[in-house]
Amino acid sequence: MSFHPLMPYGSEGFQKSERTLMARGEPFAFTAERAAKLEDICSKYPPERRKSAVLAALYLVQEQQQYITASAMRHVAEFLRITPAEVEDVATYYVMFFKAPVGKYVLQVCRTLSCALAGAERVTETLSEKLGIGIGETDPSGMFTLLEFECLGACDRAPVVMVNNEHWHEKARPETCAKLVDDLRQRGLSALSGCHLKVEQ
Amino acid sequence: METVTLTIDGRQVTVEKGKTVLQGAIEHGIKVPYYCYHPGLEIDGSCRVCLVKIEKMPKLQTSCSTLVAEGMVVSTEAPDVVEARASVLEFLLINHPLDCPVCDKGGECPLQDFAYSFGPNESRMEFPRRVFDGEGVKADVDFGPTLMLNRNRCILCTRCVRFMKEVDGDAQINIVDRGYGSEIATFQDEGVHSLISGNLMDVCPVGAITTKDYRFKSRPWDNPEAIDTICTFCERGCNTTAWLRAKPEWAKGALLVRTTPRLNPDVNGYWMCDIGRFDYHWIEGDDRLHRPLVKMEAGLQQPADWREATAKAADRITAAGTGSLRFLISAHASLEELFLIGRLGSALGTPEDGVAISWRAREKPQPADTKFKVPPIDAPNVNGARDMGFPVKASSDGRPDISAFRQQVEQGRVKALFVFDPGPPGSIGDVSWVSQARASGKLALLIVQGALITDLARAADIVLPGASSFEKDATYVNYQGRVQAASRALPAPGDAQEDWQIFVNLGLALGITLGYTDSAHVRADVAAAMSSNAAYAGLADLAFARPVTAQHWLQASNPSERWKWDVMFQDLPPVKFAGRPDPSSIPTVIPLTERD
Ligand code: SF4
Ligand code: SF4
Ligand code: FES
Ligand code: FES
Repeated sequence: MSFHPLMPYGSEGFQKSERTLMARGEPFAFTAERAAKLEDICSKYPPERRKSAVLAALYLVQEQQQYITASAMRHVAEFLRITPAEVEDVATYYVMFFKAPVGKYVLQVCRTLSCALAGAERVTETLSEKLGIGIGETDPSGMFTLLEFECLGACDRAPVVMVNNEHWHEKARPETCAKLVDDLRQRGLSALSGCHLKVEQ
Repeated sequence: METVTLTIDGRQVTVEKGKTVLQGAIEHGIKVPYYCYHPGLEIDGSCRVCLVKIEKMPKLQTSCSTLVAEGMVVSTEAPDVVEARASVLEFLLINHPLDCPVCDKGGECPLQDFAYSFGPNESRMEFPRRVFDGEGVKADVDFGPTLMLNRNRCILCTRCVRFMKEVDGDAQINIVDRGYGSEIATFQDEGVHSLISGNLMDVCPVGAITTKDYRFKSRPWDNPEAIDTICTFCERGCNTTAWLRAKPEWAKGALLVRTTPRLNPDVNGYWMCDIGRFDYHWIEGDDRLHRPLVKMEAGLQQPADWREATAKAADRITAAGTGSLRFLISAHASLEELFLIGRLGSALGTPEDGVAISWRAREKPQPADTKFKVPPIDAPNVNGARDMGFPVKASSDGRPDISAFRQQVEQGRVKALFVFDPGPPGSIGDVSWVSQARASGKLALLIVQGALITDLARAADIVLPGASSFEKDATYVNYQGRVQAASRALPAPGDAQEDWQIFVNLGLALGITLGYTDSAHVRADVAAAMSSNAAYAGLADLAFARPVTAQHWLQASNPSERWKWDVMFQDLPPVKFAGRPDPSSIPTVIPLTERD
């Protein structure tokens, strides 16, 4: 806008914030199927509360392209008729939304008190050693990403590793971590112990 | 009005039903600190500093989000309130850099004020503060074309977030990385792009959001004079305060350092737009006219004194035939100026179609549901001109329709044209056709009275330097039909005169005695002439502000903080430049003691 003739536009002479920004990414649009699904979810809320569907929308983005990008947030904002800033607010709050490309299996080790006391740090260390990557990184094969997480609500089976936001591996032991990685490579998700509640059912 | 009576600190207070305990306390001068509460925004209850004790409630309550109820017994001074409040302030200061000496808010900062009054004496926090400054990282970041954001100073009150959402209508500011990493940001660091972004500096209770315009320019105690006036840059007429810096005559730089909005619930609420706030540099800029100019035979404009210039103008007008003088008037002309032009015109025998009122209308992109719409018409007095019987013709897009007048000029049917354009630059609308008509000789005489040396003034035979709206007491009628006063904050530069004076003197030179010695007399006559119009009832008694002394600088501004100056900080030492220093008072030195 030309109303500020005396003010430099953009970063001229001023530093930009260095907070981690999500990549712009490829132009994004929901597939017709996902758009219909989201529209259906939106219809469960009163029209003026359409933005309540933002979490669902972001999960759908992740389902479609694995991680969240700026273009995707813009698309979600348009879809829900809110501003991109409001979407970013939510997307940066929840750790379940990945802000960068991740591997096929995202190993999220709980680091909160119960798990920490039961040796979660060792679990993370061993996984990190075995995969040759640090926390927040993805291994060269693109198969694994290692992350830390806060309490997963399964403290009685500590330490807990959550895989891909929905699968559980309980009572993880540093000694068996290397095997877990190998098993995951070979057998996929069935290598996990699963959630005891589900297993017991 | 339904009211509720409750007790605060042993005092019976009566408050309108539906108000909060905090509002009730503020109304009655009871000291309760607050950050996230802002009278122009919705309640948030996030800063926790407004805690009070309410009898029969299990724990301390945030007074900003508790509605008053009949018989409520509130304490703001109970020991547990005092302790909890101090703890909240201690928490708020955990990461705050306390760089007040280099912070723009210093001196008018609620965080300083409340921390002094209600905070603990010391912090018990021993770990390092969270800072954004680091290798390749800066706390101070660009926050759009008008603003800077200092992330270290932010106390996360979310006033800025709510301002954008509720008032601007486009929620551009968000909190990213919520939790320990919480940070105020815009989507992808695009910055705030809004026509009312300057208000974010006002709502921010700390020095986190500052304007690039005012940043590092002055400090409140160096602005000893604040003048309540109105903005004349569009037809809204926001109520504002103009701030003047104290500086010796010879020092460089402008006197006028900023304009801030002043509460008027009926006109602008707590807000003003960025055009009104930032577009003031021309007032003390290089393009101001300081002396009358008269075009010599060779076509060069030469500075002249007033007597010479008015005499010359009168001669040329008389030579052209007094009845042939036509007027092109900017809708920035005040009621007084319009009245005098009307008097001159009728004395000269100017016909009805010999006057045109012009202005600029611009589309101002804003979100559809904004609560603060900036009107398209960039002139303060279109309604005043209409009320006073001037031919005001507007086309459907808000632009003036002066095509018939323009035709007269372009066809060479106007011998002498008087243009009045007191600025801001461009606000009279397109007048390039006037300069063209003068250049091509279709127009034989062009007299321009105004504040700036514009292309039009360069083309003129005689240029009379007038005053901007910051340099005269004048009245305008805004888009609601409300008569408002703009007060004189500074003198006009050089030999420039207030415009009513120029009209009176020009009249004299033409043999027309208007007989006014100050603008109040003109105003009284306008009031008498408009007495049949109820909206003008108060015109003659309108109050004009005079500089407020520095001790009350906050009283004159920042409406949400104003009460503090009424009830809390009366005992502050006087401000630098306010009055003369007393040579007998030896400054007390605080002895430095060694700590063990
Ligand atoms: S930038 Fe200012 S207004 Fe915005 S949250 Fe921080 S302290 Fe509050
Ligand atoms: S809205 Fe109009 S009157 Fe108000 S500050 Fe902006 S330009 Fe001035
Ligand atoms: S602490 Fe790890 S699941 Fe609760
Ligand atoms: S003012 Fe009440 S919680 Fe912030």
